[in-house]
Amino acid sequence: MKRYFFQRLLLLLPTLLGALTLVFFLIHLVPGDPVEVMLGETASAADKEELRRSLGLDRPLLAQYRSFLTGLLTVDLGRSLSERASVSALIRARFPATFQLTFCAMAVALLLSFSLAAMAARHRASWIDRAALLFSLFGLSLPNFWLGPMLMIVFAIQLGWTPVSGRGGLGHLVLPSLTLGLGMAAILTRILRAGLLQAIREDYVRTARAKGLSESRVWLKHTLRNALLPVITIVSLQFGSLLAGSIITETVFSWPGIGRLTVQAIQARDYPLVQGCVLVIATTYLLVNFLTDIFYRLADPRIHYGK
Amino acid sequence: MPRVIVGLIFSPGLRSFNRHGIIYLFIAVFFLLAGCRFSPAPEPRSNYLVVGIESNPLQLDPRYSTDANGVRIGGLIYNSLLRADERMRLQPELAERWTAPDAQTYLFDLRRDAKFHDGKPLTAEDVRYTYESILDPKSRSPKRGMLKPLDGIDVLGPYRVRFRLSAPHAPFLEQFTIGIVPVGSPGAETNAMPPPGSGPFMLESVNSGEKVTLKANPVYWEGKPSLTGLVFKVVPDALVRVLEFKKGAIGFMQNDIEPDVLPWLERNTQASVAAHQGTTFQYIGINLTHPILRQRKVRQALALAIDRDSIIRYVLKDSVTPASGLLSPLNWAFDESVPQWPYDPQKAKRLLDEVGYPDPDGDGPRPRFRVSFKTTNIDLRRRIAEAFKEQLARVGVELEIRSYEWGTFYNDVKKGNFHLFSLAWVGVADPDIYFQLFHSDSVPPIGDNRGHYRNPEIDRLLEAGRAAVDPAQRKIIYGRVQKLLAEDLPYIPLWWWKNVVVQAPHVRGFVPYPDGEFISFKKVSLSP
Repeated sequence: MKRYFFQRLLLLLPTLLGALTLVFFLIHLVPGDPVEVMLGETASAADKEELRRSLGLDRPLLAQYRSFLTGLLTVDLGRSLSERASVSALIRARFPATFQLTFCAMAVALLLSFSLAAMAARHRASWIDRAALLFSLFGLSLPNFWLGPMLMIVFAIQLGWTPVSGRGGLGHLVLPSLTLGLGMAAILTRILRAGLLQAIREDYVRTARAKGLSESRVWLKHTLRNALLPVITIVSLQFGSLLAGSIITETVFSWPGIGRLTVQAIQARDYPLVQGCVLVIATTYLLVNFLTDIFYRLADPRIHYGK
Repeated sequence: MPRVIVGLIFSPGLRSFNRHGIIYLFIAVFFLLAGCRFSPAPEPRSNYLVVGIESNPLQLDPRYSTDANGVRIGGLIYNSLLRADERMRLQPELAERWTAPDAQTYLFDLRRDAKFHDGKPLTAEDVRYTYESILDPKSRSPKRGMLKPLDGIDVLGPYRVRFRLSAPHAPFLEQFTIGIVPVGSPGAETNAMPPPGSGPFMLESVNSGEKVTLKANPVYWEGKPSLTGLVFKVVPDALVRVLEFKKGAIGFMQNDIEPDVLPWLERNTQASVAAHQGTTFQYIGINLTHPILRQRKVRQALALAIDRDSIIRYVLKDSVTPASGLLSPLNWAFDESVPQWPYDPQKAKRLLDEVGYPDPDGDGPRPRFRVSFKTTNIDLRRRIAEAFKEQLARVGVELEIRSYEWGTFYNDVKKGNFHLFSLAWVGVADPDIYFQLFHSDSVPPIGDNRGHYRNPEIDRLLEAGRAAVDPAQRKIIYGRVQKLLAEDLPYIPLWWWKNVVVQAPHVRGFVPYPDGEFISFKKVSLSP
């Protein structure tokens, strides 16, 4: 087990390097020139050439790649080409906002999905079950760019309960968390309900009931635990992608997170910033996946890793 | 955590949610939310005006700022030697007096009461430092190229400075609108806040991607502004900006508003909505190396086939005015005798027949010829492109629309990789811009003659216009340029965007500027 985790931890490094290498070469392949963005249209060709030289953009791509890797080793992500700040300062300023939104959206999704799936499974084929499935269908069908403004119109404009957009106090978190959380809750509800319904028919559940265990113990210890594995996979994937920034939701709710920063960097062809954002996103994703493996073991002690 | 929730659902008291369950739920939610770091809720600040803007200002330091919001917000923090007024005429700002003893020299006497926000007086040394730091190659300033005609700056006294040019260059006057920073201000290679300015507002805080807050300069030489401060709130989505306005969280917006929502705003809010003539010029660029498009009559036929009025009325909801050329009626060099191209599809068909592109099957599906039209993937741009496609199809020209993400689109335009494209020129002030766009020497990468237009007569006129110093003489020269280009059509003029100002009823005293400047916030007040 320990050996397995140690191996997985070591595997993170080449995976990360692979992602960064891919992005480094892809961003250089995309049409657009950061020097043009920095110097504007009125700059002379000589000035542009000089800046290109001073930024090292005139060097062969492989030489630039070497410098990029050296920078990584010295934890120097470089300076943004479009903003007056270092890449790490910009990421430090934006990442907490994304983390906050992700955490709250996950909370909404978990609260809703566990409640709905459990009620639906317990009252199978009842109106509660049908309502949960209907909710799930709607949640999956409504895109965030539509749901966000609709929630704003109802809760911020008509009822006046929340602010419209932006980051600030608790009130600012409600609508973006709901927008992100509802879609996730829809998926989780379906998967968890199906898992619970499958588990409840198993022989060990019948045995547990025959032993005279209480209904709540049967559901918690014998049913839910066995239905959790696929849910953990989905939650971890969603958690990882949310931490990578939900670009649409961040844009709709003027949320100053890492997703918007990445898009801004790509549009400005701000190579160092794009690479810095990808580094953070890839690292986060890999760490979440790594943690998922640990959770698997906790959820199902039968799982063994390695010899 | 899931145990707690499921414990609630499956607990013996499930059917009647028990009291303990509810307490567990609250505890669980509390711990979940406590895990997040919250910034304090923003207090509505008294006498602060909140302005909604679409994008994050990238640079506020006037030596580096080129993005629209950076320039406009920076204009409130920094003073310049001269500044364009609401009719686009250059007026002294930090300069008390200024003269041009000859065509290559400009002499400025500075105000003695101007102070930087840190309390230091603004002197001629600061002016020299600002310009020299831009010229320093290490500074990587995007404005360095514009200062090329500058030969040297002499400080003649604490409040007197002289600029020497290497040759007469009338458009150089525009460069005196660059904001002045104190001696020793660091360049862009720092994480520090931008240097202090001497303008009516001081920088209070910058929250990247969120907002920029300014506060009134209490010792501003023109008098302290009425507003205590300004908050520029970044709201990228146009619809959300409108909702923020409806809610009262934003008190002012200028431009970047979808034309469709303007009538809604007027009906559903107490907003004062006003549209003023602007200078932003929208056009169709043409690749003149294309064997069909290089023929003038073809370009004229395309201009005649476009029904601008319908697009303006139904798609743009009158947020623009039809244009005759690059210079708007607000520009001192605008020639009002230059005609606009009317909508005349019959004449367009005749012209195309004349130049040898007859319609092969009359009203049938086969076109006379096919060309591509590049635009960005913004919804409004795509809708306008669809209208062009439909209108050109009526005269037998097939338009193939290709919409791209901005960076890719712009790269293609700069490389000449297009047949037709649509873009806008923003902040057109001095008519010398024609040199950059249409002189034979301005073909990329040197200039922006992206369609490879070559006309010896235009070249001669543009060189004369650049060397002439007398405004009356320049007006005659550029009048001729405007007429020639309107005939030759290296660009098909479409429209000038209006500056649309939406403000809450309690906002008083805002004067719109043609280039969308915010400087009149120094005179704005909020009524109780």
